[in-house]
Amino acid sequence: MLSFQNTKCECGHQNPIGTVLCENCGKPLEEAEEAGKDTPLEMRYDGIARRSQKSNPGIIDRVWNFFSSVKIAVRLIVITLLAAIVGTIFTQENAFVSFDPSTYYEEKYGWIGKVYYELGLSNTYESWWFIGLLVMIGTSLVICSLDRVLPLYRALSKQQVRKHGEFLSRQKTVYTADIKGDEAAWIGGLAEQLKRKRYRVKTDGTALLAEKNRFSRWGPYINHIGLIIFLLAVLLRSIPGWSMDNYISVPEGEVVQIPDTSYYLKNEKFTVDYYTDEELPEGLKGTARAKLYETKAVLYECTANCDDPSVQPELEEVKRHNIIVNDPLSYKGLKAYQFGFDDTPRLKAVNPVLIDKESGKTYGPFELDMRNPKLIYTLGDYTLELRQKYMDFTLDSSGNPTTKSREPNAPAFIFLLKGADLPAEGVPYMYFPKQNDKERFSQDTINGETGKRFEIKVPSMEGVAFTGAITSLNVRTDYAMPYIWVGAGIFMFGVLIGTYWQHRRIWLRIDEGRLLLGAHTNKNNYGMRADVASALRGIGIDIEPKSLDNGGNKS
Amino acid sequence: MSLLDFSSDAFLVAFFLYCFGFLFYAVAVAGRNWSNRKPEDHLRRWGRIAFIVSVLGFAAHLTFFITRWIGGGHIPTSNMYEFMMFLAMAIMFAFVVVYAIYRKPLLGMFTLPLTVIIVAYASVFPQEVQPLIPALNSYWLRIHVTTAALGEAFFAVGFAAGLMYLLRTVDFKKTDAQSRRDQRWVEFTLYVIVIIVAFIGTVFAFRGVDYKASFIQEIVSIDSKGIESTTTETVEYSMPPIFKPYNSQNIEVQSFLGMKEPLFETPSWMHGVNAARKLNTIVWSILTGSILYGILRLALRRRLGAAINPLMDGIDEEDLDEISYRAIAIGYPIFTLGALIFAMIWAYIAWSRFWGWDPKEVWALITWLYYTAYLHLRLSRGWHGKKSAWLAVIGFVVVMFTLIGVNLVLVGLHSYAGV
Amino acid sequence: MKKNRRTIQIIILLGVVLLGGYAIGNALFSSNDSLPQKGDTPPDFALLGLDGKTHRLADYKGKALIINFWGTFCPGCVYETPDLQRQYAKHKDKPFEIVGINLGEDEFTVNNFVKQYDVSYTILFDNNRNVERKYGLRSYPTTFFVRPDGTIMDIFVGPMTEKDIDERVTELLQS
Repeated sequence: MLSFQNTKCECGHQNPIGTVLCENCGKPLEEAEEAGKDTPLEMRYDGIARRSQKSNPGIIDRVWNFFSSVKIAVRLIVITLLAAIVGTIFTQENAFVSFDPSTYYEEKYGWIGKVYYELGLSNTYESWWFIGLLVMIGTSLVICSLDRVLPLYRALSKQQVRKHGEFLSRQKTVYTADIKGDEAAWIGGLAEQLKRKRYRVKTDGTALLAEKNRFSRWGPYINHIGLIIFLLAVLLRSIPGWSMDNYISVPEGEVVQIPDTSYYLKNEKFTVDYYTDEELPEGLKGTARAKLYETKAVLYECTANCDDPSVQPELEEVKRHNIIVNDPLSYKGLKAYQFGFDDTPRLKAVNPVLIDKESGKTYGPFELDMRNPKLIYTLGDYTLELRQKYMDFTLDSSGNPTTKSREPNAPAFIFLLKGADLPAEGVPYMYFPKQNDKERFSQDTINGETGKRFEIKVPSMEGVAFTGAITSLNVRTDYAMPYIWVGAGIFMFGVLIGTYWQHRRIWLRIDEGRLLLGAHTNKNNYGMRADVASALRGIGIDIEPKSLDNGGNKS
Repeated sequence: MSLLDFSSDAFLVAFFLYCFGFLFYAVAVAGRNWSNRKPEDHLRRWGRIAFIVSVLGFAAHLTFFITRWIGGGHIPTSNMYEFMMFLAMAIMFAFVVVYAIYRKPLLGMFTLPLTVIIVAYASVFPQEVQPLIPALNSYWLRIHVTTAALGEAFFAVGFAAGLMYLLRTVDFKKTDAQSRRDQRWVEFTLYVIVIIVAFIGTVFAFRGVDYKASFIQEIVSIDSKGIESTTTETVEYSMPPIFKPYNSQNIEVQSFLGMKEPLFETPSWMHGVNAARKLNTIVWSILTGSILYGILRLALRRRLGAAINPLMDGIDEEDLDEISYRAIAIGYPIFTLGALIFAMIWAYIAWSRFWGWDPKEVWALITWLYYTAYLHLRLSRGWHGKKSAWLAVIGFVVVMFTLIGVNLVLVGLHSYAGV
Repeated sequence: MKKNRRTIQIIILLGVVLLGGYAIGNALFSSNDSLPQKGDTPPDFALLGLDGKTHRLADYKGKALIINFWGTFCPGCVYETPDLQRQYAKHKDKPFEIVGINLGEDEFTVNNFVKQYDVSYTILFDNNRNVERKYGLRSYPTTFFVRPDGTIMDIFVGPMTEKDIDERVTELLQS
């Protein structure tokens, strides 16, 4: 096709190189036609020359031609598909919150996991080559569409009514007959029938062109535009500042700053409801199945002192919303989603008393806060000075007391107990607020003699305060979302008009009493034949739609 | 009688109507040459009866769906049973739509058995109504699942028509290399279908006799610090153990045909969720499927494809090709909308991101890419007839893997239970 | 017409190269999201110090800086604290600072610890653990060595020996 060829049709029209069917009369151009004489014509893009086909390709043309080929596009799609499959073999890295991928895959899946990790397949969808594939698909979308849509537009907007005989007889739907009587009246009658079927009819003497749903031809290009917008919107998300993804944990009653923003969020109340046994079917009775979790959230915007932790920030309430799963708080593009919760009770404060077992006197109660305790407690005749505190008491390898974590799982306090009848420097007393810790670490043995006389303890459960449940929220901004939806919407629109409507054309010419009718559609020849048959029936020619089939009724 | 009981009864009615519908289609096709009517009249008459029965079945199925919706308080698409039931209903709907366009009764001969198989497969899963967890409580979920299933239903009809095309066109008498390859693959496809039928049959047979076996399995795991820890787990089987769990002791093994002990142990490297039970089920299915296939071969005295092929005589193959393509072309936009766009909208609302590369999401994308390639190949590269039919058949395998395989083999956020 | 076509082709291909290059480059170079890597500038912070004042990363511009994340509950952190303190004392007169960011513990606990170990370098509170998250900590202790030009020279995960610290501080001070 790259060799010199005569593209001048016998009708006198000069066609561009690469043309399959004459742009003017539709006659197949001999040199371009590879298949046999009797087969239906190749009507793709109406036989026009695609833009890319040039006789002397340079490097830019070669790249252009590469991406304008549908064959390449399909290969890209298939490669992407296979790559996507490979990525689902093992769990991807992004599914884990915190783990070490360099050892995880080998431990979990053996040598094959190691290979998987080392090839970078554990991060398939973020890998440069996968993104590269998507970029190539995007390029192919642009170039393929551009290369076809403009010539197709030209071809469809200046159509000849009278086409070459061979063009008609080699359509997939063909009808021939001998016409008796007035040819113009016959054509007029058929035109009437076709108009009733919402065809736009043009006549030119004894030739006719009826056409409908041409817009459906633009469907593929519209959906490609939608996809390009979609892909660009996805790319937009990677620009810093266009999207944010943070997790915050907010204990009930507290206000927490949303990182990297001037917003603060308060968890006024967190509730979790479980299904009752009556609501559960047999097999699930007795299990805790959550029905609803809800965070009563208040969003504040900081108006002053925002970036200085040594002063209280000034907050202004901007939004109040009860966040539940599927119903996030939303304010100016910022969204807070219910992500999870932790309602294991944590000790917040206790109100113990000091008991002098010898005299039987009780002193207190005093409030002992787990996180920020006061340093000195004056209790009548005695004072308690806080010397040391452990949130999660344990003994380290050399037997020294230490803390295992920062959560008050096993709090322990060392006080210095002072009083008139005690040594001036005071006596140490170790206190475990939780009863089981007290036994586990044998508080009484540690305190020795002091423990025989004094005891610090919480008189009743009322003296114990717990922190409320912690809600975890996923806070996001995603300014590219509108473009994502617009892209998806345009894509859907294009696909719909491209698949649910079909471009249908009927040509006919009568030459000396001989009728030659050819019809073409880009999809659904079945419907095309039904249209022709029903129009013919309308003017009294009864014909089985199937008999119009010229063979090879594909696509 | 509660609404849910009524719903189950409606389903039974639907199931039997579907079976009869299939039977009548078979009578319509197979009986046309030995009835005393003209073959065309016979076909038309029985084709119409079969279609009416199928539509009645669909109506009963719809009744099942609606009463279960009202009785359960939420749309029944939230576990595997409900989803597969819905898919089967959607396939019937797609069948009715395609039938309305093409009026080819024979399409039912392949769509109905497909529906019956899917419905029966659905019944393998636990059937009780389960209350929703909060994440699933969104109307976008309902829209997403139903639309996606409808799109997939059209792909299923495309598959049925594609398979019919192959059975119609592959010549079982020829012996050249190309024909033999086609024959082999068509036969293999039928063999796989027989295995699936056998799987369902086996599950229900053992459920019928209430078979049970259980094991206690020791699982040794080594954590990141290299410390070994051992946990034990009870594994329940509902089929006789050909393969017992790796490193396990019998608790109770009912004897089956004199088989009192497990024959083999599952290899140690298979350690997915319930890997041993799945392996055992698969081995059973292949075993019973192969036996069933063997019996069919003996009874018919030729390959299944060769037996079905003559029944298809007189069906216009070009129509089948077109029906297959059109069903897929109709399904494609619906699938895109349901499985990708609505899914993204829901994911954005529920999980705060529109796309997260969860295996189910990826497989929906793979299905979509697959059918995109199909449409491009057909519309721009001229893949018609046999190639296109094979693509439609393989495409349905991709769809089924997305729906079932991902849940059984891969893990992810989509929480339907597996067998 | 012909000229026009060539221009359009070039514009489109150029656009593809730019956008595609950006996308692929993004995938290639920011493999670990936005977590700080060697050579990056560490994320900014503004935290309350043990001295009651606000300290910002910008305050340490032009100085060699060690940012050490620690907690009393983390044995490795406790282990390396005396060595850090020794290094701090050794290079006190040089443009060198150590900042110990505590991992969300209370003032009393931190104070006690600082007294016990005679720590004289700056101690900061990361109360809601935002800075910890920004720095992408996976385990404790983690220490960032920041050059005077504000780029990360090294990230050390796990407890350091005195030699580990000494080598890096020497390198920091030379740069």
